[in-house]
Amino acid sequence: MGMTRRRALRLWMAGSERPEPRGVLVNLFLRGGADGLNLVPPHAEDAYYSARPSLAIARPDGRSDDRSKTAIDLDGFFGLHPALRPLKPLYDGGQLAIVHAVGSDDRTRSHFEAQDLMERGGAAGRNPGSGWLARHLRTRAESGTPLAAVAIGETIPESLRGAPGASAVRRVDAFSIQLPPDRRATFDRALHRLYEAEGGQLGAAGLQVLESVAAMNRLDASEGESHSGAAYPEGELGDALRQVARLIRARVGLEIACVELGGWDTHFVQATLFGSLAGALAQGLAAFAADLASDWNRTTIAAMTEFGRRVRENVSLGTDHGRAGVMFVLGGGVRGGRVIADWPGVAADRLEGPGDVRVTTDYRDVLGEIVAVRLGNERVAEVFPGHTVRPIGIV
Amino acid sequence: MPLDRRQLVTLGAAAGTALASGCSDAPAWNLLARRLESRPADVRLPRGDAVEPAARLLNRLGCGWRPGELDEVRAKGIDAHIEEQLAYEAIDDAPCSIRAARFETIESSPGDIFEYRKQVVERELFQHTMLRAVYSRRQLYETMVRFWTDHFNISLGKGDCAWFKTVDDRAVIRPHAMGNFGDLLRASALSPAMLVYLDGKDNQEASGADGPNENYARELLELHALGVHGGYTQRDVMEAARCLTGWTIDASWFRGRVAFRGDRHDGGEKRVLGQVIPAGLGDADLDRLLDIVIRHPATPRYIAAKLCRKFVGDAPPPELIERAAESFRASDYAIRPMVRTILASDAFRDPRASPSHQRLKRPFRFVASALRALDADTDGGDRLREWLQRMGHAPFNYPTPDGYPDEPGPWLGSLLWRWNFAIELASNGIPGTRVDLAGVARLWRADASSDPSGDWAAHVLGRRMAPDEAEAMRLLAANPSQSADRGATHDHDAPLAAALALASPAFQKY
Repeated sequence: MGMTRRRALRLWMAGSERPEPRGVLVNLFLRGGADGLNLVPPHAEDAYYSARPSLAIARPDGRSDDRSKTAIDLDGFFGLHPALRPLKPLYDGGQLAIVHAVGSDDRTRSHFEAQDLMERGGAAGRNPGSGWLARHLRTRAESGTPLAAVAIGETIPESLRGAPGASAVRRVDAFSIQLPPDRRATFDRALHRLYEAEGGQLGAAGLQVLESVAAMNRLDASEGESHSGAAYPEGELGDALRQVARLIRARVGLEIACVELGGWDTHFVQATLFGSLAGALAQGLAAFAADLASDWNRTTIAAMTEFGRRVRENVSLGTDHGRAGVMFVLGGGVRGGRVIADWPGVAADRLEGPGDVRVTTDYRDVLGEIVAVRLGNERVAEVFPGHTVRPIGIV
Repeated sequence: MPLDRRQLVTLGAAAGTALASGCSDAPAWNLLARRLESRPADVRLPRGDAVEPAARLLNRLGCGWRPGELDEVRAKGIDAHIEEQLAYEAIDDAPCSIRAARFETIESSPGDIFEYRKQVVERELFQHTMLRAVYSRRQLYETMVRFWTDHFNISLGKGDCAWFKTVDDRAVIRPHAMGNFGDLLRASALSPAMLVYLDGKDNQEASGADGPNENYARELLELHALGVHGGYTQRDVMEAARCLTGWTIDASWFRGRVAFRGDRHDGGEKRVLGQVIPAGLGDADLDRLLDIVIRHPATPRYIAAKLCRKFVGDAPPPELIERAAESFRASDYAIRPMVRTILASDAFRDPRASPSHQRLKRPFRFVASALRALDADTDGGDRLREWLQRMGHAPFNYPTPDGYPDEPGPWLGSLLWRWNFAIELASNGIPGTRVDLAGVARLWRADASSDPSGDWAAHVLGRRMAPDEAEAMRLLAANPSQSADRGATHDHDAPLAAALALASPAFQKY
């Protein structure tokens, strides 16, 4: 409180020379339980091939003529699904790190339970009522702008539950005064006059919203939809990432963006669906990185899923709900070019329950490190209550 | 709500009109309600530099005013209006009930309500809540309902709460909102919604390594009664949880019926907040526990302080909190005398006595007061719920038991949505909601100035515009393309003027 009119005015005038923009975290949730074993296959393990006679991704050993069907080697042990090829340059450039055998301690193998638990940042039997991103927004040092947290979609995801400032929008065009252009300009000016005269916390917040909206408009006018060379794939994820990139480039104070990609629940004839999903994922992320240009350095993407899938394929050429999965962490500040895994193995005697990859890295260690290091939140213990975050050196 | 003969005749005539006209866009019940409402003949606009006392009072007691309500309070006086609002049972609310009580789920029993789909139950509860906020003449009572709804927060997102919250609203919050706090607390403790929301239904005697479920017991002490600094210990939480073991909900034949199962109850002796509850009381443990909790000295202070913040501002005088707590204690924890003490105080009456008196409206209050200011005819439907979701304040959707925050910080992010809501409302863009701005402005034609935009602002704000505001309003009229279109330099665009008044900083506060 207590912002004078003069200070509020300065804040407004300073629009174009705002302080160093903050770090941005894009949380991409792959809903349905994405199959980590085929996204990032352990191609050096024979047990992988014996458990999946039909579905396994072929070894990158040159014996197959068709490069579109073989894994892309990463480190001699793990490889990438061929449809993830657009991610290879980011991996090689040290801007993509992969965490394998990662997950939560939830053993229900229920989509709802497992997603809910991860989005709340909890552990089995201890599920906080609010989302982990909401707790981050509540505990970070400085307060945010009105556009600090945005979910692209119809509803606020569980991870932002309890963050009253968060917005869910289908398109970022919603971040404008909803009037025809000539009347909008007049209304903008009138609002500006009112909130400038108001001062204080409310006045400053109003001016900040007007500045954010103006920044979005300026970006539209000058640069169009995206940087040249950013070829977003058609569909849900490409659209969502394009929207998020606009917000980041407009520098409107975005800190948290939530996007999602569904369709990973591949119980039935997995091979037909999986390649195009993985392709959309990789193309979307690669286009996003290209689109962000210099803003890529302050952006971190954490892509996660509620659980991985059963090691053995099922009779309908699909896979069933399993335990550990894979996470992708991308961004300018990521210590990438590595697959980080305390790999438990996929041989029958190494599995848990009905034949699932054991979880050897807690998903909260990955997210917690990003929150602490990339978002600079010192109160990470409150973001993940009851869990001591052990950084794995990913950022 | 009993209707007198004259009302019945009016109602019959209106019903005939509604049926004859085919109820094209205005639903029949809204038409009926409008016939029963006492419509003001003419309205006198506020002309002072400061918000006039009647306006300030209506902002504080409820969600502002509909056209004519300021005139009513001016005529009867501040004191009389407060007394009338406190004795809310005597206020005829039939027109509001016609709009708000027509939903089947609102009256359903805990068992029957499961006949309805979740979406229907949730929508009707929202509509009922919004329609009461907008149309009830018992504005103070509705404010108290919202206060306790936050205090005993339940989220529709957990388990069967989407169904049970409707029952909780009808059987727990509304009957006791101005009644006795002990009755309210007991009803809440045995509300199916609360038993689900805070896991009480799964709370049973310890066996092996599994202790009782402490969730409800902790919030009972921390949030519902003593407050987090109320002086209880973890031991008190555990002992309180033991007292409450065995209370559960019938999940099968009598779905939703609350039952005490002695076989799951811990029958041993307990010690809560320094007092012993002897072994073997069974289901009577509950009443003993709640009695100890209510009579703990921290409880009246905690409740009174929260209520003072609600009505007086973010930093109420400590002396007022003490007096309010004393009225509460002295009346054996009746809520109404405590509210009366607060409303009678200088801190409440005199804006100069509490400098922090202007509070940011939370989105629900903003939306309801905007609908009232423009005298909207609304069905309280989905579009309003979408707006509140976007602003982060859809009723009954806060996940954690502390209820929606009351401080301004978290709500400053909703400004853009408030402005766009104001535009959509004033330009008749909300499906199911209609405003007749020309009709409203006609009410003050005898008192109109030469500046119709300024008249709108005065009606919305409860005072005439400050110079800065007048300047902003003139910017709207100076729109060149608009004047070119219509060939007038000082064209008055009523929807835009009303929207700007609703979007202004002054209307965000109360």
